[in-house]
Amino acid sequence: MNTDSSLPGSGSAAQPGAARPAAPTAGTRETLREIRDAMVVLWWRFFDWLAVVPWKTLLIVSLLGLILAGLLGTPQLAVLLIVASMIIKVVAGGKRRADLTATQATARAETEQLERTVVEARMEALQAQIEPHFLFNTLASIDQLIQTDPPRASRMQQSLIRYLRSAMPQMREGSRPSLGQQVALSSAFLEIMAIRMEERLQPVIDVPEGLKSAIFPPMMLQTLVENAIKHGLEPKAEGGRLEIGAEVVDGRLAVRVQDSGAGFAPRSGGGVGLANIRERLKVLYNGRAELIISLPPEGGTCATIAVPYEVAPAATP
Amino acid sequence: MPQPPAPTAVVADDERLMRDQIVGRLKAAWPELVIVGEAGNGREAVALVRSLEPDIVFLDISMPEMNGIDAARALAGQAHVVFVTAYDQYAIAAFDQGAVDYLLKPADAERVALTCQRLRERLQRKPVPMDDLLAQLSQRLGGGETKPREYLRWVQASVGANIRMIPTADILFFRAEDKYTRVQTGNLEALIRKPIKELVDELDPDEFWQIHRAIVVRVDAVEQVSRDLRGQQIVHVKGSPERLEVSRSFSHLFRQM
Repeated sequence: MNTDSSLPGSGSAAQPGAARPAAPTAGTRETLREIRDAMVVLWWRFFDWLAVVPWKTLLIVSLLGLILAGLLGTPQLAVLLIVASMIIKVVAGGKRRADLTATQATARAETEQLERTVVEARMEALQAQIEPHFLFNTLASIDQLIQTDPPRASRMQQSLIRYLRSAMPQMREGSRPSLGQQVALSSAFLEIMAIRMEERLQPVIDVPEGLKSAIFPPMMLQTLVENAIKHGLEPKAEGGRLEIGAEVVDGRLAVRVQDSGAGFAPRSGGGVGLANIRERLKVLYNGRAELIISLPPEGGTCATIAVPYEVAPAATP
Repeated sequence: MPQPPAPTAVVADDERLMRDQIVGRLKAAWPELVIVGEAGNGREAVALVRSLEPDIVFLDISMPEMNGIDAARALAGQAHVVFVTAYDQYAIAAFDQGAVDYLLKPADAERVALTCQRLRERLQRKPVPMDDLLAQLSQRLGGGETKPREYLRWVQASVGANIRMIPTADILFFRAEDKYTRVQTGNLEALIRKPIKELVDELDPDEFWQIHRAIVVRVDAVEQVSRDLRGQQIVHVKGSPERLEVSRSFSHLFRQM
């Protein structure tokens, strides 16, 4: 709070005084500076207190101080101090009080801003999971399969149910979603897309069983998978491979979605999904997580989300 | 009176199941209609229509290579167009103005019969190019020719053996170094081959400022501008201790800031 504690002038005033004693060592100069800084901090703390303290409390404290000073035999000094305090409070107290309130308000506003970002991110995640295009296209495909290949229609419908079911509880407050849940959601999605896109989509899911209990934020993997299909494979007439992988490197869980699709356009201003992931990672992990987009030499795009590796507490079965 | 030739159609959709569905329902609703070809993307659809010259083309709106709107534009006036889509509120609103027909997937038998009825009537006339409607649709789908200028949002750089896409929002500054340009972010630096001169043209001028022949800085990353003993302006950025000098010809950028 006391950024203004290094008052101009105070530094230059102390320097000649410290320089005069015979050959002062760097150590004593250091000590003197520390004392000066401590005094400045103390003064501002006293000033802040003076600014916000109610008059009644100030009067009581003054009275006590006066009694104490009387016992010690320096009542004049105490009276001087009390009068000076009251003058300071009257003259500068109001402005200082306003400053303090403003600082508190700013801090509160920052917290609110952060909370709002989290809520917005959650809302966007919610919207991201109900993609009407996907839902209607899938229902239309099921409708067709019912007439031509009923067992396949049934499998597709079950995948859709699994997808919807695993997408729903993600919004529940306080639950810490695991990588396993996220992979289950995306594999249900990929099963559906593989029926629809046929040989144009070859999904490969390679996530070690042991990593499925790791904590991983919701709907991020799914966003990467949807991006890979929408921007990587769908625009390419022959389609290609989509691979989900996960590994732990240097205490970080790296979850990767790689496709052999159309590649990445450096001018795609879109990237709302990616920007949203970045924003959420920032809020959730405060710089300890990142999203990396790279272009593998064999073509296509590779998106990796790396978060601190944490294992969810074992759920009661 | 001689029998008129049987009407013909091409069906385009990137999903085979959806093509089968449309074809099946058309057969049921309009037995005389001959499906002469099926296409899996917009480009194929255009080629097929040009070579087979059908009376009608059914176009899915979202298809790879070329979407249905662009395909319809390429085929202007060559065939009667019916769009097929799973869900698109904007497109539907435009179709309701009545220029062409559309089918919503999965199309039920009655709706397909209605479309066939309309098509039978329309086959007497020449297909309309419907330029206005297509332009309108294209704009609603986020495409169209009136695109604002697109600036670089990602920089492609080698980091070790990999090629990374670095979002411009993460970049603190670019600095020319010998034959390369160095890209500096808060936690990594990478070299790219693109010279500063070209970068300046491709970056958003509201996002990045050139401050020196060899330096481009992201405006939001600037923490403060100081002067050294010779009066030279120095830019300090958040997240890097590097001092970036401002050359005289760019010093007006930071005057009175």
